[in-house]
This record gives sequence, C-alpha cells and structure tokens, in this order.
Amino acid sequence: MRRLLLTAAATTAAALTLAACGTTEPAADKSEKKASEAITLKDGKGTEVKLDGPATKVVATEWNVVESLVSLGVDPVGVADVKGYKTWDSAVPLKNDPKDIGTRGEPSMDTVASLAPDLIVATTDLPPAAVKQLREVAPVLAVTSADGTGQIEQMLENVDLIAKATGTTDKAESLREGFEAKVAEGKKALTDAGLAGEQIAFADGYVASNQVSVRPYTATSLIGEVNEAVGLTNAWKVKGDEAYGLGTTDVEGLTALPKDVHFAYIGNEDDPSATPFTGALAKNSVWKSLPFVKAGDVHRLDDGIWMFGGPGSMEAYIDALVGALTK
Amino acid sequence: MAVTATEPAARPSTKAPTPRSGAAAVTAGLVLLVAALAVVDIAQGTAAVGPSEVFKALTGRADPDDASVVIASRLPRMTAGLLVGAALGMAGAVLQAVSRNVLASPDTLAVNAGSYLALGLAGATGLSLPMIASSGVAFLGGLAAAAVVLGLSGLGTGTVRLVLAGTALMLGLNSMTEGLLLLFPEQTEGLYQWNQGSIAQNGFDGVLQMLPIALVGLVGLMLTARRVDALALGDDAARGLGVPVRATRVTVVVLAALLSAAAVTLAGPIGFVGLCAPALVRPLARRFRGFARSRTSMPAAALTGMALVLGSDVLLRWLITDDLSVAVPTGVVTSLVGAVFLVAMALRLRDTAGSGAPDRLRIPSRAVFLATLAVLVTVLVGLVIAAVLVGDSKLLLGDVVNWAQGRAGRTVSFVLDTRVPRVLAALSAGAALALAGTLVQAVTRNPLAEPSVLGVTGGGALGAVILVTTAPVAGTWGVAGAAFAGSGLTAVLVFGLAARGGFQQNRLVLVGIGVAAATTALISLLIVLTDPFNATKALTWLSGSTYGRTMPDIAPVALALAVGIVVAVVRRTELDLVSLDEDTPRLLGLRLGPGRLGFLLLSVVLSSTAVACAGTIAFVGLVAPHAARALVGRRHARVVPVALLLGAVLVCTADLIGRTVIAPAQLGAGLMTAVIGTPYFLYLLVRSRR
Repeated sequence: MRRLLLTAAATTAAALTLAACGTTEPAADKSEKKASEAITLKDGKGTEVKLDGPATKVVATEWNVVESLVSLGVDPVGVADVKGYKTWDSAVPLKNDPKDIGTRGEPSMDTVASLAPDLIVATTDLPPAAVKQLREVAPVLAVTSADGTGQIEQMLENVDLIAKATGTTDKAESLREGFEAKVAEGKKALTDAGLAGEQIAFADGYVASNQVSVRPYTATSLIGEVNEAVGLTNAWKVKGDEAYGLGTTDVEGLTALPKDVHFAYIGNEDDPSATPFTGALAKNSVWKSLPFVKAGDVHRLDDGIWMFGGPGSMEAYIDALVGALTK
Repeated sequence: MAVTATEPAARPSTKAPTPRSGAAAVTAGLVLLVAALAVVDIAQGTAAVGPSEVFKALTGRADPDDASVVIASRLPRMTAGLLVGAALGMAGAVLQAVSRNVLASPDTLAVNAGSYLALGLAGATGLSLPMIASSGVAFLGGLAAAAVVLGLSGLGTGTVRLVLAGTALMLGLNSMTEGLLLLFPEQTEGLYQWNQGSIAQNGFDGVLQMLPIALVGLVGLMLTARRVDALALGDDAARGLGVPVRATRVTVVVLAALLSAAAVTLAGPIGFVGLCAPALVRPLARRFRGFARSRTSMPAAALTGMALVLGSDVLLRWLITDDLSVAVPTGVVTSLVGAVFLVAMALRLRDTAGSGAPDRLRIPSRAVFLATLAVLVTVLVGLVIAAVLVGDSKLLLGDVVNWAQGRAGRTVSFVLDTRVPRVLAALSAGAALALAGTLVQAVTRNPLAEPSVLGVTGGGALGAVILVTTAPVAGTWGVAGAAFAGSGLTAVLVFGLAARGGFQQNRLVLVGIGVAAATTALISLLIVLTDPFNATKALTWLSGSTYGRTMPDIAPVALALAVGIVVAVVRRTELDLVSLDEDTPRLLGLRLGPGRLGFLLLSVVLSSTAVACAGTIAFVGLVAPHAARALVGRRHARVVPVALLLGAVLVCTADLIGRTVIAPAQLGAGLMTAVIGTPYFLYLLVRSRR
C-alpha cells in the first residue's frame, strides 16, 4: 500500500513536471514602452498615479466606478461581480461583456493580471494589501468611495479623476452638465407641482427570518444630498455613518418620521429579502398605521438604480422620484 | 478524558430539608422578576412610546399609533423573549439531565449551528420559505447536529468530550455557513446579524406560528419529567424502575431539538441561555427540596431562561442609544454572560486529572516512518508545484524558471509575485499550526485540544478586528501586531485562570472554550457596532485567507516556525515524558510546571503568528498531530516532522481548492480546512469511542 502510494506520488510529480514544461508567455528580454504624453494624478488616498498615456484597457473593482467608466464611454475589460452589477445597476448597463474578476472585496489578482490592464480603478474601500499588490500589475487609481461631507461633489470629482486618467475629460464635462441640468429639471418639476421643501425619507431594507431592518439614507448620504438638491427636505433624524451616511432603524423607528413625509424606496425584483416594504411589512400594523402609509405616500422607485452609483444612477433616481411624487 | 463531572439533578441534600414552601416562594420570586423585566422591555424601543403611553395602550386609552407600536412591535418582542427563554432554558435543563452532563445545551450540542446552516442553505439557494417550513428546516438541521454529537460522544461519558465534539462540529458547520454568507452576500443579507440572535419581531405572526411547536415541546417534556428523574439515578436503576431508557432519551432529545428549532427560527441562535439557566437553578435544588424533582426544576429553568433573555434585552436597550441598539443583537449579550458562566463552572469543576488510556497504537518500524516521510515530502513537492502553476491563469514550469531568473513577462511575473507568497503563507501557517497543536496536545494530554479550542486564535482574531474596524488604514504589520497582542492576552488569561493546580487538563480546555466563545461574541459586537456594512470585510479576514499576502507578512511565522522546530527537536524527550502521564516525569525528577508553561508559550507564539499571517484556520492543529501519531507512533522525534508536513499539506491543499474551484471568486483556506477537517474529526471521535 505504502509502496503504491509512493510510486503514485512520484509518478504524479514526474508527470506534472514533464507536462508543465514550456511557457505561456515568451520571456521578456526587453521592455517595449511607447512614450506618449504622460499623465500624473493624485488619487483619493493622495497617492501619485503615473500613466504613460490615456488608459483604454481598464479594470474596475467597485460598481460606482464601473458605472462612471461606462458613462464616460470607456468599456471596462474587467469588472468585479458582473452578475451583481447587472442586478443592481441597470440604470447604466454594461455595453460590452467584461471579464468577471471575482468579488468586490477580494478581486482575483490572477484574473486582473491576465487582462494586462493599463489602469485599475478601485475605491478606498479595497483593503490596502490588495491595492499594494494591484499596483504591481498596473497603476491603481483608488477614488474616495464616499464622503459624508459632500457626496455629490465627491461623485463628480471621482468622475473627473477617472476621466483624466482615461482621456475623456470632454465627456466628463458633458456628464456634469447633464447631471446639473437634470437636477434643475427635477427641481423645476417639483416646484411646479407645489412640492418644493416637502419632507422626503428614502430607505431600503431587508428581511431575515421574521425581523425587518430598515436602512435610512440620511441627509449625508448621496441620495440624501440629491434629495436636497432637487428642493426636498430630508426627514430622517437618525444619524448615519461618516462615509456613506447610512443609518439603522426598525419599523418602530419609522414612527419618528413627520406625518406629511413622502416615503421612497428601491427594492429588487430578484431578491425578495431586499424588499420588505411590499412583502413582510404589508400586514404589520405599525407600518399600516404610519400616516404616510395610510395616505398612500409610499413610492417604490425602479429597480436597478444603484444608490451609491454615479451621475447616471442619480439622474435615473431624480427621474424616478419626480415621476413618483408628481404622478 | 475520563472525567465525569456529572452531577445528578436529584442529589440528596445533606442539609436539613427545607419545607416545600421554599420552592414555591422562589418560583413566585422568579415569576415576579420575569414580569418586571417584561414590563420594562415593553417600555423600551426606537419609537417615542414610553411607560405612560404603554400604560395607556394597555388600558385602551392611547392614540391608535402608540397602541399599534405596543401591539405590533413591543408585545411580540416581549412574548418572543419569553418564548425563546423558556424553550432554551427547558431544553438545556433536560439535555443536561438525560446526558448527565452539566455542560450539555443547545449550543454545546451544536443544535443551534445545525439549524443556522440549514437556514443558511435555504437562504443561499434562494428558497423563500414560509415561517413554518423554515422552522422545519431548522429543526432537521439542529436534530441532525445533536444526534451526531450525542451519538459520537456517548452519553454520560465525560464533560470535556461532549463539549469538544459539540464545539468542533459547531466550528465546522459555522465555517460552512460563513462560506455561504461570503459567496451569496445579497441572498443572505442580514443573516450574519441574525446569527447573533435578536428577539425583535415583525408583528405577532412569528410568535403565533411558533407557539404551538413550543407548547408541544414544553408539555411533552413536562410529561417525561418523571422518567427523566429516574434516568438521573443511572441507566440500570432506571431500567429497574421499569423506565425505557433508550426511548426516553430519544424522546427528550427530539423534543429539546424541537424547542431549540422554534427558538432559532424566531430569534436566531440566542447563545448560552440553555447552558446558564439550568446552571442557575442547580444550586437551588441543593437548598430547596422542592426543586429536586424535574417537574419543579424544569419550569424554574424555563423561568430563569426568560429572565436571562429579557434581562439581556433590557440591559442592551438601556446601555446603548436607541438607533444602535437595533443593530446589536440580544444574543451577543447572552453569549458574553454565558461565556463567563462557562469559565466560572470550569474553575469549580473537580478535575480528576485522570488522563485517558493512551491510544493503543502499534509502534511502527523505522522503515515505516521513513517511508511515510518520503511519501509526504513527495506529495508536498507535487502540491507546491501544482499550487504555483494552477490558479485563475494556468502557468507552465518554464514560466516559473523565467520568473526565478527575473526574465518573466509582465503578466507571469505579477501572477507569480502574488501567488508564490500565498503558497508560502499557506505552507508556513499550516506547519506552525500543526506544531502548535502537537505541543498543546502533548502538554494537556488531551488528544482533542488545539489552539483555537483554547481561545488563543480567537483572541488573535479579536485583536486584529479591533484594529481593522477602528483604523481602516491599518497596514499588514499593524494587523499582525494586533493579532499577536490579542493572542498573548487571551493566552495569559486562559493559562492564568487554569494555572491553579498546575494546568489540569480539563479545566484548561473548558476555560479556553469559554474564552473562545467570548471572543467570538465580542468580534460580532464590534463589527455590528462600528460598521455594520463592513461585516464582509471582517468575515473575509476571519475565514482564514491568504489573500493579499506578501513576502514580509510571512516573516514572523517563518521565524516562529524555525524557533519552534529547533525547540521541539532539542526537547523531544521532555515532550514524550510530559505527554505520558502525571507521575512518570515527577519520578524522573522533572519539574512539570515550567516545562509545560514553556511549551504552551511556544504554541501561543506559533499560533498567533499563523493567525496574523493567514487568519483563523481551525482544525489543522487538531488533525495534523493526531494523524501523525496514528501514522508513526507516539514518539515526538517522529511525530513532529510528520505533523509539520501534514499541516503544510492540509492548508496548502485547502488554499489551492479555495482559490481555484469557484474562481475568480475565492473562499478562505480556513473555511476549506474546516470542511475537510470536520469529517476527519468525527472519524477520530468514532474511532476513540470506548
């Protein structure tokens, strides 16, 4: 038995060795770098990012930067969790068929390297160890993931930064103008409908077992700032986290909202546990007794608007919100 | 292993019997306490509905909004707390009685973990089950886990054995569930938090659906109370009284699993209530004769359970501001309370220090040892080659040669630059854990002990998570330092508490398990409190991963490993003696205390550096030394090299599988070792059953 094992192991090792000789890539004896106009940027962590020229083969590890890239007309060659992006961010659909590079938290180094990108766009949420390794493959532009002191400004800044790195600053300019025009348009539509200054509460939520958690998007969240920009007032009193401006509460906590609030949420058709407001809460008497629920002032906005996305998602949000409130 | 710290529930009191009225008075006191806690609980919550509004609502004079909060939110939560507390308290009490084991409970029998995995599987496959069906799923999972633990550890055969079997199975099952959480983050959203146990309810529906199930369990158990009392006298005595021993045990375990499943479905696994409630009642049984019978002590345990659950909920909502208290699960508080209990009980446990008979192993010849070594080395070499070549992008040996000469192209050199450190990290972490396990098992003379069971790995993880959550920009060296500090402090605590009486083996292990449970609860608390959206990040780290490791990260563990190997080789004879029994080393004039302490310290250094390098990887320290002894006998001169090789092979294989099978996504090596290690551990238990 032991002898058999020994022979088997030795044979396997020998076979592996023989079969595995050869290379998948020719030995690189000289580097072939073409010199064009170099780009130097400072990313969200203050790290200097140097590029030989505008990047065209781009890999993105987080959905908001994927969205920005697509909006800028740069189709990323690698995207983390492609399936998830398609489920949660259909406001700005992918135009190509990018390679899946693994999860957003732990993108696969092997896959990223095999794509041989010119640039990797990540966010400051990616663990430093991963960023350090990715820098070996290509320059990494780590944009600030979210900033509770100025979400819209941060979002547009990120778009500008990505645009500079990909040579699409013209497109970024028109994105910014488009977004500002959309905000103005939404504000006008709401004012015309006599809704200026009305109270708004946006949330999402999830169900586990028989428990419902509600996640308020406070005034310091991206959605919260967009709400203010179109002339509404955020109704949440809950304190959000520093970066994303997200709070936690339960159904009881909703009783703290003012009586005349407009309540809006985004769910997901493919994920029943992410849509408690139509499902688990439908029979809850606290929910049913809430003034805005009684008044029918609860609005489900379209699926696929990524709440942490870029200008594309936020424009879709404004359209959906204005549409729902003025209907 | 032969410790039977069994304490018959009906131990005759030596003191003068107190009148029955004492028991009645105590019960009345408990009812009052529970009632008071229930009232306080109703008045707490996120809505502005305080005591006066609650009073108005209860007397029907409140405005309808406040009334609906009380009726749809507060009352269901309070009722759920009562139901869960009663179910778990009762389940724990009868499980302890029929297994004649003071540490039996839904937690230590892995019932909760089994239910959780079953529900996790249902969630990940996208099944959206109605409440009743999901409680059925939870029941099956919990019952299966309890059956495995009780079946393998045997009844009344020893406290430590039962707890180890349960803890190990729990570890394996939870690892699988964690894997599911990482793989299906959207489908299992909220499941992690739910796993900590929370009694909040969405209306009365859940409570009303679980109530009949719980009632069946509670009433059924009350009906078996007389038979349970008979069992406490011993199997033969019970048979003599005409009690069907086997049938009673099976009935009681099924009913207890039913109760735990109802509790788990309603509120998630609320930790340790089933362990603590009967433990609190037990001293009463000694003072008041009325509690000597199960028929009175079981309801008392149920009441104590209610008081524990509601008390924890009240404490939590009182300590933490309104909004955050929603995010902190009640189960974290009960787990912390329970961990303290476990440690206190371990310290009071009379340790007979009787080591089990050494495994009757054949003594293999030198040729067998050399052949085993040769096979293992070959396997390891083949594995390392495979691990370096296989990944998301497959490479060939020529690429490696180019890389080694510094002539590889950009892609190949990057892939190898990141892959080689991962392979090395897996190898050295595996070897270090195996050596740490060998040392711990030799010193404690407990073949089922390992650093993660002793809480050392948990402490390291806690240290690291504290740093990760408080300083998001912490570098890898910072994390390593924090893990080291955490492991060190935990080890000082565990060994310090167990030092009384010269590191008696069972006390050490039980204190360790208590501390390990506390570290897990604290980690959950930290993640939920500081950044609920970071759970995936911390989970990723905790699942034992070689992701993102670079050469400098491996330096500490490599250094510790080198020192460890040297010490183990130089002092191999002492290890042989320490692992033999209590008396032989003394006869030879060896002082046991310092030697043991030295080996334990070394194992702490080894396991904490391994944690820092590759996260929490369980089972390697347990399985590798055991397998090594089975292969080459007991002498440490032979066990150490074989265990080292086995550990390296195991973790390297797990890393390779985790990295490639579901690529480009990946699973931590720790999860994979648990998946590989659990079946092997169960096999060990079957084999060592006497």
